Amino acid sequence: MLSYRPGSTFAHRLDPRSKLLVQFGLAIAAVAHPTLPWLAGTTALALCTLAAAGLSPLAVLRSYRVVLAVLALAPFVAGVALGPPWFRVEPALRSALYVGRILPVLFVSAAYLTSTPVRDTRAAVQRLIPGKPGQILGIGMALVVRLFPLVLADVREVRDAIHARGGEARSLQDRVRLLAVRSLERTLDRSDRLSVALRARCFAWNPTLPPLSFARRDYPVLVLGIALAVSPLATV
Amino acid sequence: MATEQSVDLVDDDTVGWFTKAVLLAALTAALAQISIPLPGTLPPFSLQPFGMFFAGLLLGPLWGGVALLLYVLVGIAGAPVFSNANAGLGYVIAGQGTGGFLVGFLVGAVVAGAIAHRSLTPKPVADLSVPVQVVALAAAVAVVYAIGVPWLAVVTGLPFARAAAVMAPYIPLDLLKLGIAVGVVQGGYLAGR
Repeated sequence: MLSYRPGSTFAHRLDPRSKLLVQFGLAIAAVAHPTLPWLAGTTALALCTLAAAGLSPLAVLRSYRVVLAVLALAPFVAGVALGPPWFRVEPALRSALYVGRILPVLFVSAAYLTSTPVRDTRAAVQRLIPGKPGQILGIGMALVVRLFPLVLADVREVRDAIHARGGEARSLQDRVRLLAVRSLERTLDRSDRLSVALRARCFAWNPTLPPLSFARRDYPVLVLGIALAVSPLATV
Repeated sequence: MATEQSVDLVDDDTVGWFTKAVLLAALTAALAQISIPLPGTLPPFSLQPFGMFFAGLLLGPLWGGVALLLYVLVGIAGAPVFSNANAGLGYVIAGQGTGGFLVGFLVGAVVAGAIAHRSLTPKPVADLSVPVQVVALAAAVAVVYAIGVPWLAVVTGLPFARAAAVMAPYIPLDLLKLGIAVGVVQGGYLAGR
């Protein structure tokens, strides 16, 4: 799966806020118009973002192969008819065009993922959303990223314990109930311990924000992001 | 010259709800990685909706919403928290045709919490009657499909009726999950929470 890779490409050196804007802008632009020229344009732009992140399009396609394989079924589902001629080409082509719009979104999203550490996105969220909501979401993201592997290990441990005690022979409801109850218990116990730990460390509304700053190279990227986000309005 | 800055401590109740929201976001992410294979051509039994159910029932509309918002944000930021360890905005938009369901879980948790608690401050789950729990979770499931099916139609270009037919096999499984979630609460496993 795609994840952050340290590097010094153009995309790595950009501020996460300008990258977020381009990512959302391109997603809006790609989804807004299901036409071939629009699809070609957004795909070309998305390929440029991949180049800026030093990422191969093939690597992205390989990484999202399950997503793409499932999406590729949509044109077949759209084309199937319950009577003669049994398969209609026009709705299948329309669906293929719609699904094609997703490709540039996956590309730009992959460029963002591989060039931006999670802590930078957390810092961007904390700065973009003012006040206490921003603090809660920023610190919350950092804690979720830290605790997710532990909670996942808990859930897998519970699942393996149920399996080791002959859980396969139990009904589906029993297995799911046991897994949910034990996992939830462990999760809530962790929450209680985290709560005590945060209070013991004087958890405050005014912590030091992670440093972020725009450089000269960010400004054209910001303009591009805004232009992409409003591009559907320009073509109405 | 030294500058003085007073520390604005977060009150104890807020810290408690915040940590529960953080851990339920992590639990939702963990459950998204686990599914139980079912016989025949049935889709695998995903445990992901339990995150939405428990966030709504335990945390109410505000903190339940925060929990699911954290889950989606962390995924957009690149942590592999979506099904099959996927991540990124592209997955939230497209998924495997199911991107809208992630947004549906977020709104569903808010709706379930609002119906169950009828206030931003959650009550203990033991105080929630069975009919209220069932209505709250059924509304959450309805919201998930109300957002997910049109989203699927828009992403894939399928007619709405056909998109609904594609998702229909999942509805009985989601109702079974709803029953299990209510059973967990009624079994007293969450007493005192």
